[in-house]
Amino acid sequence: MVSKRVDVAVIGGGVHGCSTAYHLAKKGFKTALFERDYISSGSSGRSAAGLRYQFGTEVNIRLAQYNMKCLKSLGEDLHYPGDLEYDPAGYLWIAYSESQLAQLEKNVKLQNELGTTGSKVLTVKGIQEVAPFLNTEGMLGASFNQEDGHINPHTLCFAYADAAKALGVEINKKITVTGLISKGGQVAGIHTNKGDWEADAVVCCAGAWTQNIGRWVDLDIPVIPERHQILITEPVERMKHPMTLCLDDGSYWKQCPNGTFMLGVGKEEVKDTSFYASWDYLEAATERILPKMPILEHIRVVRQWTGPYGNTPDFQAIVGATPVEGFYIDCGWSGHGLQFAPSVGRIMAEIVNGEKPFIDVSMFRYSRFEEGDLFFEPACI
Amino acid sequence: MSIKLIKDHPILDFGHEEKKMVTFTFDNKEMKGFEDDPIAAALHANGIQVYRITPKTERPRGFFCAIGKCSSCFMIVDGVPNVRTCVTPLKAGMKVETQKGRGVLKSEEGEER
Repeated sequence: MVSKRVDVAVIGGGVHGCSTAYHLAKKGFKTALFERDYISSGSSGRSAAGLRYQFGTEVNIRLAQYNMKCLKSLGEDLHYPGDLEYDPAGYLWIAYSESQLAQLEKNVKLQNELGTTGSKVLTVKGIQEVAPFLNTEGMLGASFNQEDGHINPHTLCFAYADAAKALGVEINKKITVTGLISKGGQVAGIHTNKGDWEADAVVCCAGAWTQNIGRWVDLDIPVIPERHQILITEPVERMKHPMTLCLDDGSYWKQCPNGTFMLGVGKEEVKDTSFYASWDYLEAATERILPKMPILEHIRVVRQWTGPYGNTPDFQAIVGATPVEGFYIDCGWSGHGLQFAPSVGRIMAEIVNGEKPFIDVSMFRYSRFEEGDLFFEPACI
Repeated sequence: MSIKLIKDHPILDFGHEEKKMVTFTFDNKEMKGFEDDPIAAALHANGIQVYRITPKTERPRGFFCAIGKCSSCFMIVDGVPNVRTCVTPLKAGMKVETQKGRGVLKSEEGEER
């Protein structure tokens, strides 16, 4: 079979793959994207789709500022005819202990120092004002930003994929990448179940599935998959309720623009990429959340699903070049990656093009693990 | 208003002879129905065919799947929205209301905040 030729092959049709392909095409690279199933079918479309300024490390805060600015008008900017359902209903991080509150205060202080507007620390009375349906028992305080919120994770992916396609990117769905082509120690393309594609560079945006791809070039990429689950309820009329995340048990819930409530809880989970949901999760989530939001008592859960996180040892992403020439990765977002597609898609294209990234992401370098230079993101669950 | 119900069904026995006739309200109008009949059946017997108005296109909806699956018969019962009236038994004094839109959750004290 005669192989095809592109400048860059992107593995993964999630939001990072689609955004990276779009930004590569904008720079003039002949790009092909490969997705084993359909666009957004992996973790992106399964995510809780939170958007926020509220992070706790400098690099994430700087990237978040750019992401949030982009996401506000992304639909128009990408000429996407659908609805991204961008919805800044606010985002509450609730502390149940002094140390949690101290960390939230530290996060807000750092956000403000770096120029984020709108992040603030709330007292219990302040919590009641922004989220009047909460039972505040046991809560000590919170951090809050009214500009944080929600987006439709599917249309977000489609918007980037369509924009990439309009710039000439080959979007290959239902094609499985089965290997990497190596020539003289560097990556020179990909094998798939529908033939080979030669490429000068391969960008891996395979999320929780990244480890499998790294093994083809003898890289042990420390991205461990972890199942996460979500429940969704029937829709009810919109209420005054921001995304609420409780630090005592990792429970969170928010009302989506269509009126449904999305619920989840922190729980020990299996370390794999399976899509099987469990009964005990349904029980754990509802038992934890109902006392905190009693008004949800009569609402019905209509669906439950899973999506894997790709966790790294410090819950921070791995972004950039690898020891294997021609092989780049953007993965390991540990559950907060969806919202980083605008900034990091652009940065991946800059890195492949040999430019200095517009925001310094050297903290995310692959080599930090062997250097022992881990840096933990305190604002993630 | 006379109650329109099948009396002799070739297969089903509704047990109406043993059932108690109770009073309930539909949109504040008093009506009668058999206790433990599905609310939707009692409404139907009273000639009521529109149970809800859909949120987006504001279309009328009534009895459809009759097995608690389709969401067509969602009504507000005793203040609780999205009640599947086709599978919820009628009780004396129930306050049944047409549901317009998605339904509003209320706190225990019954106030809408």
